[in-house]
Amino acid sequence: MSLYKPGLLRPGFPLLIRDFLVYNVLSENVHYGRNAYGYQLCVEKKMSDKADAKEGTSTEKTPLAQVPLVRMVDIDKWFGKVNALRGINFTVNHGEIVGLVGDNGAGKSTLIKILSGFHPADRGEIYFEGKKVNISNPKLAKNLGIETVYQEQALAPHISIARNVFMGREPTKFLGFMDRGMMDSESMGAITKLGLRIKDPEAMVEMLSGGQRQGVAIARVMYFKAKLVVLDEPTIALSVKESQQVLDFMQQLKAEGISVIFITHNIFHAFQVAERFFILARGEMLIDVRKEDTTIDHLIELIVSGRSEIKS
Amino acid sequence: MFQWETGNKTRRERSTLSNEKFMVRFLSYRVSFTLIVFVVLLVFFGIFSSGHSFFGIANLTALAKLAPDLGIVSLGVGMLMIAGEFDLSVASTIPLSSFVFTKLLGWGTPLALILVITLLTGAIIGMSNGLLVVKTKLPSFIITLGTMLFWRGIVYAASRMSPIGIMSWIEPDAWMMKVFVGFIGGMVPVQFVWFLFFFAVLGVVVQLHRFGNWIYVTGDNQIAARAMGIDTDMVKTVCYVIVGVLCSFMGMIQNLRIESFAANQGVGFELRAIASAVVGGTSLMGGIGSIPGIFLGTLTIQIIDNGLILMGAPAFGINAFIGGAIIIFAVLNVTVARVTGK
Repeated sequence: MSLYKPGLLRPGFPLLIRDFLVYNVLSENVHYGRNAYGYQLCVEKKMSDKADAKEGTSTEKTPLAQVPLVRMVDIDKWFGKVNALRGINFTVNHGEIVGLVGDNGAGKSTLIKILSGFHPADRGEIYFEGKKVNISNPKLAKNLGIETVYQEQALAPHISIARNVFMGREPTKFLGFMDRGMMDSESMGAITKLGLRIKDPEAMVEMLSGGQRQGVAIARVMYFKAKLVVLDEPTIALSVKESQQVLDFMQQLKAEGISVIFITHNIFHAFQVAERFFILARGEMLIDVRKEDTTIDHLIELIVSGRSEIKS
Repeated sequence: MFQWETGNKTRRERSTLSNEKFMVRFLSYRVSFTLIVFVVLLVFFGIFSSGHSFFGIANLTALAKLAPDLGIVSLGVGMLMIAGEFDLSVASTIPLSSFVFTKLLGWGTPLALILVITLLTGAIIGMSNGLLVVKTKLPSFIITLGTMLFWRGIVYAASRMSPIGIMSWIEPDAWMMKVFVGFIGGMVPVQFVWFLFFFAVLGVVVQLHRFGNWIYVTGDNQIAARAMGIDTDMVKTVCYVIVGVLCSFMGMIQNLRIESFAANQGVGFELRAIASAVVGGTSLMGGIGSIPGIFLGTLTIQIIDNGLILMGAPAFGINAFIGGAIIIFAVLNVTVARVTGK
């Protein structure tokens, strides 16, 4: 982990020394890949590599907690001539809240859209619970247990809460007719479990506050046993109190053993709940750091400058 | 005036929970307003039509015979509007199906086969509309405006715009006549029963079936629907097919009723169907509306039509009243949404 310093292995580093490091010091822990800017090195944690090596033979025996839930390795994405992501290595562990932070256009949404199957990556691999997966469409991501909650896109405003919770997965009694009693009771159950108080499952979503809407969307993914929930800017248009409510929902998800990727450019919100921060700028990773190894000032400095070489 | 009343009412009702819940529910079903207006109009025309002829047997029978024409089409168009799309081409699907029906009769095709092929015509037109809309991703208003003109051109060219009588090819007591344009008990036109049948089937499907939920979600928030794995393109295409089938059915029973094909069948139905849906509380943006609302909406439009004529309004000026009614209902819908939204 001491070598896990992005600055050391960035493309600008003298080539000879770098190659020496790659082949003699880091050896197996390094991915050596090419992108538009030349070579880029991607240092992996040793543990996850071990898990990787065992893949296919003894994955079952490895305790799940040791294998990261999701590992995205060396992800590259191009939009025409724009290099949206450059050699990103992104890991999410079980029951962990990761703050995916960065300014607008940093590549946060692109990375998540690759993970949730909306875009294909131009290069790179994704491992889910240690197994290599090819997430080519949103449905596959869902089947794996990766659920994305977009603020404005999650719910239909003129439809009841119960119908929203079961949207696309309606429980039926016969011939496809909805079991409305079950929809009402189960949706209320999920919402209550999240710590949200709503009386009427038949009320339209339009009548809920922004925080409550987030709650309904989160209750839905919790009810359907998501393993990883991606929250895309869940606090962006909310009042202080409502934002706090949404942060509490995340803690609740964590308590349920569900991992959360919290995408935001509000580092203060991220710092309240996240255990790890993954900061992007212009398609590159600036830092991937645990909360205890950093301070909020350092993170802000990083985001503002957009460079990782800053000394804190 | 009306806005003030409703606003005041909800605020007062807020004191008691159950009442408030009831009021909110009541208002959120926009049908409520259409129902109120419908009943008021019934009473109004009942009292003011000369000699209370509005409720005369002759008038009610005539209404029950004519209302299904627009009604059946409106049910489909309204459902499609809930899914967030328009279909203007209904105006041409009707005469085209009627033309196909007439031609098949002329060739002596078995009646059952004629029925199937006629309905298939509508299904194919509906399917092509649906696929064009979802594949091009262009506004359905434009696409179906195009297909409306296209198919009407085809009908005009094929029929040379001349009416074709059908009575030389079909016996007046053939089963088809009885099933589609007969009378039940010598009183109730069977068309109206068909109208009620489609109302019941579509009502149950749209309000209670999971496909109905998909229709609402597709119209209300298509991105959310997609994200939840609903094939919104499929939902829309199926709705277009249903609209097409309903139009051919209606073209057929209208043909049987007037006992001929007429090239101007269905002219103006595209907008009257949309008007019916709007009067019934359907949103032009999709996602809001209900089959009972559309049912009442189309009846409301038609009793305005019928009642005003009975009261001696100039027949050619009726559109002025219907136009006014549409605007009033559109304003009312927005007002209701604002009041209940708070």
